[in-house]
Amino acid sequence: MQGFLEVSVDKFTFKVARDRLYAEEGVWARSEGERIRVGLSDFLQQSSGDIAFAEVKPAGTPVRLGEEIATIETVKVNVSLGSPLAGRVMEVNPALQSAPETINKDPYGDGWLAIIEASDWPVDQRRLLTPEAYLEVVKRLAGEGVEVP
Amino acid sequence: MSRAKPKVVIVPCSGIGKPYGTVSREAAYIATEELSPDKTQLVPLSLLVLGDSQTRAAVAQNVAVTIDGCKLACSTKMVKESGGTIAKEIAVLDVFRQHRDLKPLGIAELNPEGLKLARVIAEEIARQVDDLTAGVPDSPNPRKAVRKHA
Repeated sequence: MQGFLEVSVDKFTFKVARDRLYAEEGVWARSEGERIRVGLSDFLQQSSGDIAFAEVKPAGTPVRLGEEIATIETVKVNVSLGSPLAGRVMEVNPALQSAPETINKDPYGDGWLAIIEASDWPVDQRRLLTPEAYLEVVKRLAGEGVEVP
Repeated sequence: MSRAKPKVVIVPCSGIGKPYGTVSREAAYIATEELSPDKTQLVPLSLLVLGDSQTRAAVAQNVAVTIDGCKLACSTKMVKESGGTIAKEIAVLDVFRQHRDLKPLGIAELNPEGLKLARVIAEEIARQVDDLTAGVPDSPNPRKAVRKHA
């Protein structure tokens, strides 16, 4: 399903893609069968700032739920990103090596982080938030004045 | 009759309160005051935004190097909107990506790494300025210089 939920705070508009699930920290997960594509939400990328470097665990790395799967270094902060599911990293977005700003430009599309082979997706996905629930998280965080550049 | 030699205008961004904006201005100071004082002219973005006639004329009559601290690229946009010709657009973040050990921190005062990053950018500007002004005689039309590099 295409489309976005949106919330505007001051001059900023944050989009939440409808076709995936979210960890509260802002990492999304979209099922592609047994393979789950993961990336950053629009709110997380905007509130983190321009991304200078993105480093993702290499293909073959086993990850547990919540374990660090990637780090991003932005102009403002260094962010450790926990995996929204358990499994094994199958593929890392090759574009991030030379153009990490792709995450800022297209967080739900070309700026994906990795594809993970899930070990127990039916269980892990129950821990994640629906787009509607994550939108409420974004509203709360944006309302609390999480800084955006 | 002698004419003034054309200068390259250096336009840093006005990202007050942000380290990368501070790096852009520090780089502009080093380039215009230390490395290429005779070939450059510092243009404050704020005056350009306010429409100051002398500032707009400087941008319109000379080629520019812009330095932007973030993706909004205010200095580049403003020079273009003012009818200026940009010889080189520099994004501080792009230069930082090539020098990961030079992470800028601090606002009122940059950390040593930020100052080094500013110098790296300033040296790149100086090289660009040397290229732009090499062999250019005193000229009533300084934009001739940039046509070779466009």
